Amino acid sequence: MSLADLHFFKMTREPSLDALCAVVAERHAQGLATILYAGGTDWMVEQEMRAPLHDEPPLVVDIGRMGELRGISLAGDSLRIGAGTTYLELERSAVVQARAPMLVRMAKDVGAVQIQARGTLGGNLATASPAADGVAALAAYDATIVVKSARGERRIAMADLQTGYKKSTRAADEIIVAVELAPPPEGSPWYWRKVGARRAQAISKVALAGVAVVENGTATRFGVGMVSVAPVTARMATTRALVLGKALAEITAEEIDHAVDQDVTPIDDVRSTGEYRSHVARALTRDLLRQLGARV
Amino acid sequence: MKISLTLNGAPRELDSAPLVRLLDALRGPLGLTGTKEGCGEGECGSCTVLLDGDPVNACLVPIGQCEGRAITTVEGLGEMAHLSPLQRCFIDEGGAQCGICTPGMLISAEALLRRVPDPDEPTIREALAGNLCRCTGYQRIVESVRRAAELLREGAAR
Repeated sequence: MSLADLHFFKMTREPSLDALCAVVAERHAQGLATILYAGGTDWMVEQEMRAPLHDEPPLVVDIGRMGELRGISLAGDSLRIGAGTTYLELERSAVVQARAPMLVRMAKDVGAVQIQARGTLGGNLATASPAADGVAALAAYDATIVVKSARGERRIAMADLQTGYKKSTRAADEIIVAVELAPPPEGSPWYWRKVGARRAQAISKVALAGVAVVENGTATRFGVGMVSVAPVTARMATTRALVLGKALAEITAEEIDHAVDQDVTPIDDVRSTGEYRSHVARALTRDLLRQLGARV
Repeated sequence: MKISLTLNGAPRELDSAPLVRLLDALRGPLGLTGTKEGCGEGECGSCTVLLDGDPVNACLVPIGQCEGRAITTVEGLGEMAHLSPLQRCFIDEGGAQCGICTPGMLISAEALLRRVPDPDEPTIREALAGNLCRCTGYQRIVESVRRAAELLREGAAR
C-alpha cells in the first residue's frame, strides 16, 4: 500500500488542448512522465499496489473537464466521441443510442454505475488492455482514434493501434482526443455479450462485440472485437473474411469454429482458463452469426 | 491546493494535497464519517457518494477534481429527526444489518430514484450492482428501495 504517497503528487489543469500538448511535450523531452487524469479508475487502484515512491512523482494533469476532449457529434456519416466521454454519458447520449446502440449496451456492462460515471473511452484506449470492453466495441465498429501532440494531429485505425500486451502505436507524447466511427444504417444488427464471474463489476473472461450490415442474406459489413482471448483485442481477421465471403446461410458451425480457433490465442489466468475461453469464443461467435442468419 | 466545493448543499473550502482521495478528505478534514471505506479499489461501493448527481466511488476520486463540484454524502440525505424516505424504508423493511454497505446503498438508490421514480426490480438490482452487502442477501434492500419509491410517488401525488 502506498496511498500515503498520494500526498506528494501535484495536480494542474491546462486551459486548452494545445497548452496540454505543450506541457506533455516539454516534460517528455526532459524524460519526465505526465499522468493525464480523467476518471482514474485504473490509476488510483494501481497506486495501492505500487511500491513506495523514491523519486519526485510524475505530474498529474486533471483532464476530467477539458472541453476539447468531450462531446459527442454526428457529422454526415461520422460519429465523433470525445475521449473524455464517460460510459454513463455514452449510455445517456441520444445520438449514440440511435446510431451506435452496441456502445450503449457495452457501456452498461463496464463495472457498475459508479465506474461507468468515471471511466472514459479514452482511458480504456490508453490502458490498451486486451480485457477492455470499450476497445473491443470500437474494434467492431472499425473506429479511428484521433491523437494529438505538439507535433500535430493524426489518426490511427483500430487495426493499427495495438501491437502487444498493453502496447500501442500511440507515442508517449500523443494525447487521445476522440474516436471516430462510421455508424451502420439505423436498425442494423449488432451484438454484445460479456461473460464474467458475475453480471456487474466483473472483468471479462470473454466478451464479443459485433456490428453488421446484411443485404439479401449476405453480410456486406461485418466487424467484431473479442475481449481477453489474445495479447491484444482480437479483431478476428479469419472470421471476418469467412463471414464476408459467402451467404450467411451457407456458413457452417465447423467453418466458424475453425476460423475462431485461428483468431484467438487464449491463456489461463486468474479469471479463466484458455480451454474455457476457446469454448466461449466459439460459442459466442456462433451465437452472433446465428442471429445474423447463419444456420448454426 | 485550495479546493472549493459544495458539500451536501453547503459551500465548503479545504486545503489539501490534490491527489488525496475524496474518501479520506470526507472522513478527515471535512468531518463526515458516514461514508465508509470497504475495499478501497472501486469494487464494493461502500464509499459511494454523488458527484454532480451521479454515483461514484469516493476511493477513486482525487479531491483536487472536486473543485467547483457538488458532493452528496449519506449525511446529505436526511437528519436523525427527519430521515429521508429511503433511510426510513431501509430501517422499516430490514434493509440494513451491519451497516457498512448501507451509506453506499442509500446513495446509489438515491441516484436511481432521482432519475427513475418507478423502477422495476431488475432496474433496482442493476443500480445497486456496484454495492456489495455481505449480510442481508439483497432482497430486503431491493424491497426497501421499492417501498421508498412508492412513498416518494405518493408524496409527489399529494
